[in-house]
Parts: sequence; C-alpha cells; structure tokens
Amino acid sequence: MEWECCWNRAVIAPGECPHIQEDDTELLVAHERRILEKCCDCEMFLRDLKQFGESQHPLAAVVTLLHGDYQRKKNQIQSLASFLDTQTLQVRFLHELGSVLQSSVDLDEVLSVALTAITAGKGFGMNRAFLLLLNKERTVLVGHLAIGPRHMEEAWQVWEEISCNDMDLKTLAHNFRTNKLSAERAKFHDILEQMTIEVSRTDHILVKALSSKHTILIENAFHHPDVDPGFAALLGIDTFLLMPLVFHNRHIGVIIADNCITHRPITLNDMRSLETFSFPVAFAIERASLYDRLQVELSRVTEANTKLREQQELIVRMEKMALVGRITSSVAHSIRNPLMVIGGFARSMLKSTPEVDPKRTYIESIVTETAQIESVLDEILNYSDSLFPARDFWDINQVVESAIRDVQEMLLQKNGVCLFTPEPSLPLVYVDIKLISYCLRSLIISDCEGRENETVTIAAHLRDNYIQLTIADSGRVVTQEELEMLLTPFSMTYDMRGGLGLSLCRSMLERQGIPLIVVAPPEGGLTYTMTLPTIKEEQHEKTTDS
Amino acid sequence: MKRLLIVDDEANIRLLYADELKDEGYEVVTAANVAEALQKIQEGTFDLAVLDIKLKNESGIELLQQLVKERHDMPTILCSAFSCYKDDFSAWLADGYVVKSGDLTELKQEIVRVLAKKGK
Repeated sequence: MEWECCWNRAVIAPGECPHIQEDDTELLVAHERRILEKCCDCEMFLRDLKQFGESQHPLAAVVTLLHGDYQRKKNQIQSLASFLDTQTLQVRFLHELGSVLQSSVDLDEVLSVALTAITAGKGFGMNRAFLLLLNKERTVLVGHLAIGPRHMEEAWQVWEEISCNDMDLKTLAHNFRTNKLSAERAKFHDILEQMTIEVSRTDHILVKALSSKHTILIENAFHHPDVDPGFAALLGIDTFLLMPLVFHNRHIGVIIADNCITHRPITLNDMRSLETFSFPVAFAIERASLYDRLQVELSRVTEANTKLREQQELIVRMEKMALVGRITSSVAHSIRNPLMVIGGFARSMLKSTPEVDPKRTYIESIVTETAQIESVLDEILNYSDSLFPARDFWDINQVVESAIRDVQEMLLQKNGVCLFTPEPSLPLVYVDIKLISYCLRSLIISDCEGRENETVTIAAHLRDNYIQLTIADSGRVVTQEELEMLLTPFSMTYDMRGGLGLSLCRSMLERQGIPLIVVAPPEGGLTYTMTLPTIKEEQHEKTTDS
Repeated sequence: MKRLLIVDDEANIRLLYADELKDEGYEVVTAANVAEALQKIQEGTFDLAVLDIKLKNESGIELLQQLVKERHDMPTILCSAFSCYKDDFSAWLADGYVVKSGDLTELKQEIVRVLAKKGK
C-alpha cells in the first residue's frame, strides 16, 4: 500500500511533514514522538488509516478503535489541563488577594484591594462594584465606596491604561487608593448617597441578601418581584450580583457587582468565585474596623494615661510641697513668735527712748534686724504657698467619690445614703479642689443634718463647656422662708456643727466664679446645682469671642 | 473706751499686745486659752476679740466658730504666724486677718477698720 503520511519512516527530510515547524526539527528524527504529536492529528494519516481499515487486515478495526479512543483521551486531557490552568490562575489570584488582605489593617487599603479585585481583569473581571457597609450601630446599610467606569468611553480608557501597565493586584489596588479613591467616591457620590437602607426593611433585596448570607444573582431586575424598581433604576442595569459580607454571624455589609459596560453574562462560576472571596474580604474589613476602633481606644487610653501621670506628678509635687510647707510653717511659727516679741518690745522701747540716748541706736538695730528676719520668713512662707496650684484640672467623678468617702462615717451614723453613679467620659473640671471638696462635704452633711435615713443623690452631667453637678435630697419640705434663712449668713436655724453654712459655701463658690443655685420645690427636697468650668477662664473667653 | 479681748498662748505676746493697745486707748483683757477666753466673754462684753490660731493644743478657729455661733455680734480678728490661713475657708468667718509681726501697725489699723465697719 502507498502511504501519504510519514508515519512509517524513521527519518524524514525538512518539508516532508507540513505540520513540523522550522524550530521543531528534532521531530524529523524522533520517530515515536512525531507519530504521537503530529501524525495522529494529520489528515494524511487519517486517510492512511482509512485505507488500512479497508484492507481487510485483522488488526485494522483494532487500530482504528485505539486511534479514536486515543484522540478522545487526548482531548479530555487538554480540556483538563486548560481547566487546571484557569484554576491555578484563580488560586494564585486568591493567594495574592489573601496575602494583601491579611497583611493590611488599614480600612481604606482593604476596601481598595477588595473592589479592585472584583473589577480587575486579572481578578473577577466585573465592570463595576459598589460597597455598602453597616453603620456602627449596625442598623443602616450605607453606600461607602464604588469602583468602575460610568460609561463606555471611560471604560476603554481605563482598560487601555491597565493593559499598557502590567500590574499585579497589590500595585493596582495601591494605585487606586493613592490616585483614584477620592475621585471614585466623588464620581459615584450621587448613587452612593441614595444607597441608605435601614436593616429593618426586611423586604429590601440588599437586606435579604445580608440575612441569607448567600450570594444572590439578580436577573431582569426591572421586573424582579424582590427588587425595588427605584433601586434597579439607581443601578441602571437589569443583571447584578449581590454579595453579602458576613463574618462569624456578624453582618459587615454588601457588595454589588455588575457588568454594566460589557453586559457579559454573570455565570455560576463567577458567583462561586465571588462567594469564596467574600469571606476573607468580610474578615479583613471587620479586622480593619476593629483595628481603627482599637487605635481610637488606644489614643484615649494613652491620653488618659498621660493625664493620670500628670495628676500623679502633681500629687507627688503637692505632697512634697506640703511637707516643705509643714516644715517651713513649723520653723516660721517657732521663730516668728519670739521674733515678734523681740521686735515688738524693741519698738515699744524705742518709743520711750529719747533721741539723744546712745542706746537708741542699738534698739533701732534690733528693730531693723527683726524686721529683716520677718521679711525673710514671709518670703519663705509665700514661696511655699505659691507652689500649691489653687485651681487645676480634676476628675469630678473622683472628687465626688472622695467627698462621699470623707462623710461616709457621718452618713452611717445617721443611716443615710449618698448615691452617685460616675458618668464616663466627662471632661476634667478646672476648680480649686479643696474648695469644691469642702462645699460638697458641707452640702451632703447639710442634707443629712438632724435627719435619719436621708438619701442624697449626686449627679454630674456635661453641658457645653461646663459640668453641672447636682446634689439633691428628697426627705424634707423646705418653705421659701426657710430656704431664705438657710441662705442667710449665721442663721440661727442652721446648726454650725455640720459646717460653716450654706451661705458660706455659696459665697466661697461665687468667689471662684461658680454659681450655686438652691431649689426647694413645694413637693419636698432640696436641690443644689453648681456649674463647674471645664476650661480655664482665658480659654473660655477665647471660645466666647470666637 | 473700747474693750478688746486678746487670746494668745504666749505670755510675752499678750503683754506686748496689752502694752501697745492700751497706748492706743483701748481697754485690753487677755486670755491664754479657749476656756479662759469663754469665761472672760461670759463675765463681760467686748467690742472686739483678737484670736491667735495656734493655741498650744487648742484651735483658735474652733474658738472663732463658737464665738460666731454664740456671739456673732462681736467682731473678731485672727492673728497668726501663718499667712496660709488666709486661704483656709474656716478662717473666712473672721472679720479680719493679720499675720503676726513685731510691727503692730497693721494689727492696730485692722482693729480700727473692723470696729468702724461694725459701727463700734
């Protein structure tokens, strides 16, 4: 038989097989490889095979059968290899994505990576993506960020730019974040601002997607029973994918992805891939949000720690100064009294000593020297006094708790109770702590004076630049006349044992510019209200001016 | 003649005050402690009292509080070696405050001022 194909020749010359290229001349001499790689697909070989089949040779049918099966297997292998290549690319992409997401705690970076991955050709290749995040209270889904072209021209421009610069996902995301994040937000502002959906709207498709925790493909959105027509019109496309972001039963947000430019159908494969991708994205967003909150808390703790350290330093300084003050006071007392006697009697003697008396000079010297020592003593005492800051920033919760502790014994004796719940996050008050503590103690004692089982309630609330501190009791009815007597200095109705009187407290507070208001409602009880500044006077003046 | 009560635990200081204030035309009665002061007050009336804050183991401030409560019509001047008592709220009950000095001019002026203020 005459054979068209070269399968029966061990060596062939160049050009004898039309399927062997110039750069593959090795096949000219590699007989078995040539048969498997070239001849089996060659038309001339198929004709030779047909001729052989018609030759009635007993092996002809077997050879034809084997060749057919070989071809099928070969096609299957090629298809599997292609699938494997695609999967490998996807795994590589997801690995790259995972590494970027796992290594970042910056929320903007995470969001940039996530949205870039959805829209990048190397990624999931969608045209456009919107990200909605739940607010802090987790009650409202709010449009946060979007990416993608808004029309065909822009799309071509972007795709051409990407094709010219062969960038990996991390670089793409970095470029997006540094160069385009703000612009994309502004570009989609009109759509994003309309994407505010309360989670209580359980009929809304986005809330449904979030609750179901599964990716939903919406087709024919304009006539879809679950899709609000207004929402479909806002997106302007009838097919889109909703991808809920859920981490450990905690709802994070929803991503909407579509092919608004190419209108390429969204396949089940797309859905599965994006579903796989949603978990690490949700995790990364949650982690970045938590990190953000952690940073805020850390800065608060750092600030509180700094203030605490300053207060501690102040207390230590005050304690040291108090010690210095006690020592100098003691010395001053020991010196000043005899000095006063010496100086005083010297002056008396001077008055009765004639101008011509030679002793006068000595007496004058005693007067001058004692006056000099007295002035040195004054300087020392004034200096130690000046080391005590009269007014400073204090935590009102601590001041109140300390005052309550100071009068605790008296309260116990009278079966009285003082209720105070510290309000967190109150700013420090700028006061003379000795004065405020004294007034607080006096007011609590005044409330319990002469009565058993009294309940005094103290509360502190922030009002603009002030803390409003109220001390209230409810056990007695005070008439207007009695209230006026309470406010009158040295009123005989007021027992001095409990302190120096309400009027004195008011006058002391007023000296510091702190008003004390006393209210006695007809139904009973007394309420004292003092308004404590949270900033220094000069700061307050600046604030008022501005 | 105005009657003054001087309360100080130092005998020499009481003597000095008495000499100087008598020269100024006041009738001066002295007391060395709280009990003696209260006794003198019960025995007669005074136009003004000058109180030392540190009275050995007693406190002039406590005496001041008692006087304000029982004899609030009688003005008082606190006299102390400690200027810091000026800032003590308890001392604000007194009508005047003088830091002790061998030069009694300030005390004398304060007595005149307080008596005039109280219409005495």
